[in-house]
Amino acid sequence: MKNHDNPHEEETPSGVPSSNSFGFTGNASVNLIISGKQSMLSGFQELLQAGFVLICRVGVSIKSLLCDQFGLNPQFVEDRINTIFLDGKPVDNIDTTTVMDGATIALSGAMPGLVGATLRRKSPLASFRQTISSSSTPLKGSVAKGVVRIKIFNILMDELGPLFLGRGLFLSSDALRSFLQKQPTEFWDGCAKILVNNAPEYPPAFREKILAALKIEDAWVHLIVHGES
Amino acid sequence: MDKILRIDMGAEGGPKATTVPTGEYSGLGGRALTSAIVSKEIPPACHPLSAENKLIIAPGLLSGTTSAMSGRISVGSKSPLTGGIKESNAGGQPSQVLARLGYAAIVLEGKPKGDDIYKIFINKDGITITPDNSLKMLGNYSVVEKMKAEHGHKIACISVGQAGEMRLLAASIAFTDTELRPTRHAGRGGTGAVMGSKGVKIIVLDDTGTTMRQPKDPNKFKEANKKWIAGLQSHGVTGQALPTYGTNVLTNIINEAGGYPTYNFKEGRFAGAVKISGEVEADLETKRGGLATHGCHRGCVIRCSGIYNDKDGHYLTKQPEYETVWAHGGECGIDDMDTIAMLDFLEDDIGLDTIETGVTIGVTMEAGLLKFGDGEGAINLVREIGKGSPLGRIIGSGAAVTGKVFGVERVPVVKGQALPAYDPRAVQGIGVTYATSPMGADHTAGYAVATNILGVGGTVDPLKPGGQVQLSRNLQIATAFIDSMGMCIFTAFAILDQPETFQALLDLVNACHGLEMTAADTVEYGKRVLKMERDFNARAGFTKEQDRLPSFFRSQPVGPHNVTFEVNDEELDQVFNW
Ligand code: SF4
Repeated sequence: MKNHDNPHEEETPSGVPSSNSFGFTGNASVNLIISGKQSMLSGFQELLQAGFVLICRVGVSIKSLLCDQFGLNPQFVEDRINTIFLDGKPVDNIDTTTVMDGATIALSGAMPGLVGATLRRKSPLASFRQTISSSSTPLKGSVAKGVVRIKIFNILMDELGPLFLGRGLFLSSDALRSFLQKQPTEFWDGCAKILVNNAPEYPPAFREKILAALKIEDAWVHLIVHGES
Repeated sequence: MDKILRIDMGAEGGPKATTVPTGEYSGLGGRALTSAIVSKEIPPACHPLSAENKLIIAPGLLSGTTSAMSGRISVGSKSPLTGGIKESNAGGQPSQVLARLGYAAIVLEGKPKGDDIYKIFINKDGITITPDNSLKMLGNYSVVEKMKAEHGHKIACISVGQAGEMRLLAASIAFTDTELRPTRHAGRGGTGAVMGSKGVKIIVLDDTGTTMRQPKDPNKFKEANKKWIAGLQSHGVTGQALPTYGTNVLTNIINEAGGYPTYNFKEGRFAGAVKISGEVEADLETKRGGLATHGCHRGCVIRCSGIYNDKDGHYLTKQPEYETVWAHGGECGIDDMDTIAMLDFLEDDIGLDTIETGVTIGVTMEAGLLKFGDGEGAINLVREIGKGSPLGRIIGSGAAVTGKVFGVERVPVVKGQALPAYDPRAVQGIGVTYATSPMGADHTAGYAVATNILGVGGTVDPLKPGGQVQLSRNLQIATAFIDSMGMCIFTAFAILDQPETFQALLDLVNACHGLEMTAADTVEYGKRVLKMERDFNARAGFTKEQDRLPSFFRSQPVGPHNVTFEVNDEELDQVFNW
């Protein structure tokens, strides 16, 4: 499924390889921009945990992805992102582990419990999970455009959520629809302005209009959320 | 804490209490004390529900002082579930209260002749033991309410629910929290059945008129406590992740790692995990007017617990913790937090180990009694236990018994005790601990204490294959020490990363008891505890053949990583070769 060896193979018009495991070609059928109270952002945490898709340059190290492309401060990465998974495998060395097209990267703070401590980067207990650890992968092939799924957990959601939501991310229409369908009235009350495919919508029709736009099955949505203080 | 309260429930003329000096047990607390008494005084071959077995309830060495985090309490006996030695510990208020009353332990001995059940009241003036059959077959919440009506709100209670009275193997012992609710349980190993077999329904403690225990060197103690608290609060796990989300913060990452046992250990990832994560749980608690940050006893500065309200904002249960959420979530395929919270409430009330009960429900689902994901069916099964129906009694007897009754092959137990929430095929090191702990499959028996700081058995190369045997040994030793201090095991994370916080713990112990204990002494202390426990098990008939995981962990790979448990038997047999 994943095209790890040659990220240039079968590119779509957007420049994203067509064979990534999410079936995402780099084009969104719906563009959605939501602006609202800063406090509304925390309502999106479930989506951050479940994961979203970004277009980026792949064939680079995890550190390069986080710092050079996402713009995170290297010190922040060192101090706060203590637990990282690449395709479900705990990562120890972010300088030498390569992100390929279609990869899933999960980011977490330091976690409790024996197993929480075991899964940490460079954990003194790393031998406990040696059979599932991500091994360092020497950079193969060239750097190219690709897609990755990012999941953000726990204490990092407050710190990184606004950044990714503000810059925009891709979600399947199904995932976003089922998330928005169950949002309570307070969530919609917190929304000040919504643009669906660049057309402004007005309260109290936010919910109805967005859900109507998301009715397309198996489509992708580009979502931007701005929090205003 | 220089006396032990011994209550002979089978004495001629009715239960008789005697207070004796700690004597040969001086200097021991918590797990060290319970295991020493079990090992020395209980005939290893006795039936766990017989008069020969004893139930020991012991606060830690630092309990009752102003030291932060020192309110854990240990319960020890021969386990009806495993047939071996058991130490199970809990939070709540009773540890501090019992220590302030001056008791290093309560030991329940013998067995009453009739079928009366008793309540025991202890305050600074003495002990009263009264038969009270109006308490029969009450749940923990109701029995504590009755005690509040009788004795007021300044009490702390230790009780059993219906499961303990019925002497079911999954029965727990409940300890009341800061709100005087029976929400903290010594869950593992069926110690509730032992308390039930002694005819004791509830022990009510009242420390009115007592004072905090005074350390031998108050200045040093105060200084060490300051450093201890500062260390805990500055650490990312104890200062932020645990208080914000509670232990259920683990759901997402264990699931991501493919180590989240799902559908009775058939898979390593649960699609519904994100709906029952600690992040979602904490958010729900806050929105419903509960609490996402709360201590289980006064003096806890980490506060990993919380209050879970129902949809209407009424108290339902305390914050279900990671193991509980998993045991009913991934294990049973249930992805609804309210269902899991209801199961947590029922099991606290009936007095059941949430891990054992959740895994047992998973086994019944595997047997086809219910479908995976059937939350309502799971609730009904737990209610059956409370009623004492034949089916309920089978379920309440744990996963091993239920697996046999329903002819299930994949039964995740070691020494008869259900495995906790981490798949040992994905995280093999924890499988070493599950297999070899004298307690049966137990995740807390090898917690994350700084083995390299302690230098137990030399420094371990974390990336070297085979290192997990040595690490498991070191962790089990260190945990035995922490359990004996009455310290909450969650302090271990700060100790792992911050040598000065470990030193602060040592300083606390030394200043409290006038000792000069070093890191090396803590290792010896931990080893001594483990030796006693293993010796008891050996005399009870355990051999190395019991230090094994069920064979399906070697033969059935678990996804997404498609791994089996690969640590061989010879390596497992090396764990206690120090
Ligand atoms: S950290 Fe949690 S378990 Fe430990 S004492 Fe505090 S509330 Fe209790």
